[in-house]
Amino acid sequence: MIPIPRPISLEIFRHLFASVAEEMGGVLERTAYSPNIKERRDYSAAIYDPAGLLVAQAAHIPVHLGAMPAMVQALMQRVALEPGDMVVCNDPSVGGTHLPDISLVMPVFVPRRGQTVLAGVVANRAHHADVGGASPGSMPAAREIFQEGLVIPPLKIMRRGELDEQIVAFICANVRTPEERRGDLAAQIAANQTGARRWTELTGHYGLEGLTQAIREAHEYARRATQALLNSLPQGSWEWTDYLDDDGVERGRVPVHVRVTIRDGTLACDFTGSAPQRSGGVNATEAVTRSACYFVLGCLLEEDAPLNAGCFEPVRVIAPSGTVVNATHPAAIAGGNVETSQRIVDALLGALPQALPDRIPAAGYGTMSNVAIGGWDAIRGQPFAYYETIGGGAGGSAAGSGASGIHVHMTNTRNTPIEALECHYPLRVRKYGLREGSGGEGRHPGGDGIEREIEILCSAQVSLFGDRRITRPYGLRGGGKGAAGTNLLVRRGKERRLPGKCTLQPQPGDILRILTPGGGGWGRERKQR
Amino acid sequence: MARPQSLSLPAFLGVDVGGTFTDFAWLEDGRLRIHKVPSTTHDQSQAVLAGIREMGLEREFRLVHGTTVATNAVLERRGARTALITTRGCRDVLEIGRQTRQVLYTLTPSRPEPLVPRELRFEVDERLDWQGEAILPLSQEQVRPLSEELRKRQVEALAVCFLFSFLNAAHEQQALAALKGGQWFACASHQVLPEYREYERTSATVLNAYISPVLSKYLRQLEKRLGGTRCEGARAMQSNGGAMSLAEARQSAIHTLFSGPAGGVVGAMAVAKAAGQSRIPTFDMGGTSTDVCLCDGVPSSTSQASIAGLPLGVPTLAIDSVGAGGGSIARLDVAGALRVGPESAGADPGPACYGRGDRLTVTDAHLVLGHLLPEAFLGGRMPLDVERARRLMAQLASQWGLGTEELAHGILQVADAQMARALRRVSAERGYDPREFTLVAFGGCGPLHTCALAEALGITRVLVPRYPGILSALGLALSDVAREYAQTVLWREPSAWPRAETAFAALEARAAADLGAEGVLRESWEFSRMVGMRYQGQSYEILIAAEAGSTAEWVERFHLAHQRTYGHHNPRGAVEVVNLRLRASAPTGAAWAPHEHSDVGAKATSDRLVPIWSGGWKHVPVYEREMLRPGASLSGPTLVVQEDSTVLIPQGWQAEVDAFLNLRLVRVEERAW
Repeated sequence: MIPIPRPISLEIFRHLFASVAEEMGGVLERTAYSPNIKERRDYSAAIYDPAGLLVAQAAHIPVHLGAMPAMVQALMQRVALEPGDMVVCNDPSVGGTHLPDISLVMPVFVPRRGQTVLAGVVANRAHHADVGGASPGSMPAAREIFQEGLVIPPLKIMRRGELDEQIVAFICANVRTPEERRGDLAAQIAANQTGARRWTELTGHYGLEGLTQAIREAHEYARRATQALLNSLPQGSWEWTDYLDDDGVERGRVPVHVRVTIRDGTLACDFTGSAPQRSGGVNATEAVTRSACYFVLGCLLEEDAPLNAGCFEPVRVIAPSGTVVNATHPAAIAGGNVETSQRIVDALLGALPQALPDRIPAAGYGTMSNVAIGGWDAIRGQPFAYYETIGGGAGGSAAGSGASGIHVHMTNTRNTPIEALECHYPLRVRKYGLREGSGGEGRHPGGDGIEREIEILCSAQVSLFGDRRITRPYGLRGGGKGAAGTNLLVRRGKERRLPGKCTLQPQPGDILRILTPGGGGWGRERKQR
Repeated sequence: MARPQSLSLPAFLGVDVGGTFTDFAWLEDGRLRIHKVPSTTHDQSQAVLAGIREMGLEREFRLVHGTTVATNAVLERRGARTALITTRGCRDVLEIGRQTRQVLYTLTPSRPEPLVPRELRFEVDERLDWQGEAILPLSQEQVRPLSEELRKRQVEALAVCFLFSFLNAAHEQQALAALKGGQWFACASHQVLPEYREYERTSATVLNAYISPVLSKYLRQLEKRLGGTRCEGARAMQSNGGAMSLAEARQSAIHTLFSGPAGGVVGAMAVAKAAGQSRIPTFDMGGTSTDVCLCDGVPSSTSQASIAGLPLGVPTLAIDSVGAGGGSIARLDVAGALRVGPESAGADPGPACYGRGDRLTVTDAHLVLGHLLPEAFLGGRMPLDVERARRLMAQLASQWGLGTEELAHGILQVADAQMARALRRVSAERGYDPREFTLVAFGGCGPLHTCALAEALGITRVLVPRYPGILSALGLALSDVAREYAQTVLWREPSAWPRAETAFAALEARAAADLGAEGVLRESWEFSRMVGMRYQGQSYEILIAAEAGSTAEWVERFHLAHQRTYGHHNPRGAVEVVNLRLRASAPTGAAWAPHEHSDVGAKATSDRLVPIWSGGWKHVPVYEREMLRPGASLSGPTLVVQEDSTVLIPQGWQAEVDAFLNLRLVRVEERAW
């Protein structure tokens, strides 16, 4: 074989590594049961080196980016992994994002000189529509994590290639839609097995040493790319504070403060000054905060740059323990992943226009407007649990107006088609459209939010978890703020305003009306002559 | 036009319009003749006629056309001024799409503008529920005045899409009837894509409305020109690999969007089958991109294709595209990795060796390594500047601390890695192992890369058609007449499944009427019934053959297919039928026969050696493709040159010429074909 010079091997292995993660994602999407995974693609798949450093991740959900490596590394320290083992876990203290995100992690062992050695780790994380807890969809306005669902510490769901049915049974006994969970877990297992098979093949082809060398080079390459980016940016230190409306349990704005420092090829994000962790579920785990920082970095890097552990090396995240950006057990955290993560990005981007006036947009809608509805479907005679997030307006930027009715930043999940939703659940969508005029004014206006009206046909329980119902997405360079979101319940023609985060028991025929925020505007509007 | 077939078969002409050339494949009594003329972009039919004239076609023939008229109308946004009528509350479904952004890591997400602007999207009161029952009748009072509104706004095309119309078309039919008589083209979603998921169905209906008037106008022009030839019937190729009448194409232009690439897949399958292979990935590498499609007996198909970010929804061959082609530009990125593409030098300025641009491409790399003979490129019509390519390559290489040849070789390796990734992805998505397949390489650049790509994927057999540059035109000439019909049913209870018999009969009646209108002999009609099944709760279905056997056998087949595709199945899982599909096809009688050469087994001879680089320079023999006769065999490393392509056979590969003059390549340790 001709020795391959580094610029070429870097690129060849980039495609090989990405290929494995993509195949895993493909298997998971195609074999999962729940619409949440298949239709909305709320999952990620990734491969890690034997030290638990990220090698490649199939790009689906940015919030998983920084969180999964934390879990893989924690598991490797805490669990004695053997060939054929697979670990299931959603525990926030071990790199979990929030309880519905269940991860399956599998070590890949290969034979070497008569022994088996660890060659890497494959893992995937998927959002399950229900993991028990106080309300269907497992997104209640809770005070403790125990109300949010089943906490799964690292457990071997497979031992030496054998599925532990007892663990599956235990999980399924604690959730509202057990058959769906069983199917989704099977899909997650299949995805990891595909990844492990491919990784073993690669090891066979290039040798463990060859592959280890290629991974090291990929990491160094990503680090160089990140440092080159950071060196090309203005050097300095900037700060910004943005706020969550409340924590869903107690009133009062929740500040997220950050000081961003770019210096000598490093990026430091210091969240000192953010609110102490709260009673309600807006607390983010450190893994989530880290993901938000990595997301912003990923956006600034060249398109298609590989995101792996090397990119994270020059990044320092300081998130003091016991705050909303690094909550400790047993804080409620369901909303940290979906709401606070967006606000962390808003804060980071709020600090950066001073450094990058032409690249940073005004604030996007800044919430995932989570809706979870569940109960007994009297029409089909079965339990149901429906969960989804609703997009909003993107912020305007130097490049142009913000897009309307789209997902920005930490999520990119698809909507559930009206026809799929009505076929599966006792619900009827009466309106799904853009919320005109909700984008902030400006030379480049913010995008409009979404208006979604859902009629509830059976008695059910509804949990709403949305922010930016009081505070509004900021404008930039004189652009206006985006409109705040609104949650309404319509009963017999009469509208009642609901809090942004609440749980309620609507009656059949009630209509839930959710108006999501618009994006902030960019630039002062030119006066009409 | 639809005359019954006479006993003596006519000749068949496939015409494929590309960006630069319009290709012709003429099949007469099994013999193949090819031709190429420059494309005429303002009116593609001019080149079609020019080619027919130049070829001097004196015998009656049937034409199958692959055209990019509809495709270009979408890409260049030159479609009809289109309006949309939809269920109240759903006006923005077309704009919101699936609420996702196309690029994950971006601060400023964007999406394609909808083809119908908001002011031309109208809502009316009406509603069906999830079982197709009307819970609110269509408001005629709201529909009728729209007629005047559409006229006032000079609408040229109208799309109607109501929720759940795939279960009950009554409201859409009523709306179409109420708006009849306008000067607009009109179509409704139950006609274009009677399947669930409102965004995809709306998108398909709107796309069809947007491009059908444009295609219709072009086809009128084409028919006028063909009037002066011996053409006795013309059809348009569809993205699903079958042809349809021009009358049908005028109504359903959406089916023509990928007609050229589909022709390539059909051509590749024909070549492979003649060589005794039916499991192939097609590998079509052109100037700017590479198309791949996995075929296991039949080409794989998908309903998830999109054009410029807009979903088609209708079934197409599952052709994946990667931004790597001969014109792909090489560069070193900021952290020291060699990137190739997706930026392309195109035809102008083109690769550096064309003498105009300075940026090095895949083609330049081949030239520097000796894979392309500068004087033989495109039959000598376009001499390549090898000195220029070499000088620029050396400059760049020294900047990066590499050898000239090392860099050129690296550019090819990176391009191969990208294409291998695409092929692995499509294989994995369908549960296949590419090693069991035969790679069929075509397009101008495919035969240069095919062996390296095969090696990267562990593939040991490769087939290079006699005319890799016009394979799509050959596929068009050979294509069957085919139509597809679908009906979403969402039957959860097996007790409902026997209703499939009646439903299939209804689809077959429609198919019979359509094939009858196509003028193909009834005896040759083939109907293949399929059901889309899934476990309850899943949202994607697997297509299962449903011709023979009881519904219990469908379930058995489904479990097996699920196991094969996804590696697991659940014998106790409840299974549901999502939709019924019918493919109606009929061969046209077009056929391609092996060559009868008196000199079968003749040795291949080469009178020249050229240096090529592969870790070091080495002189290798060059063969002229047109001199190769059936039975001849070659050993790598060697080059085979022909007007429209060059075949690179590396060390470790052996080639044989088959009766159709295709080159069959095998890794030497794998002699069994």
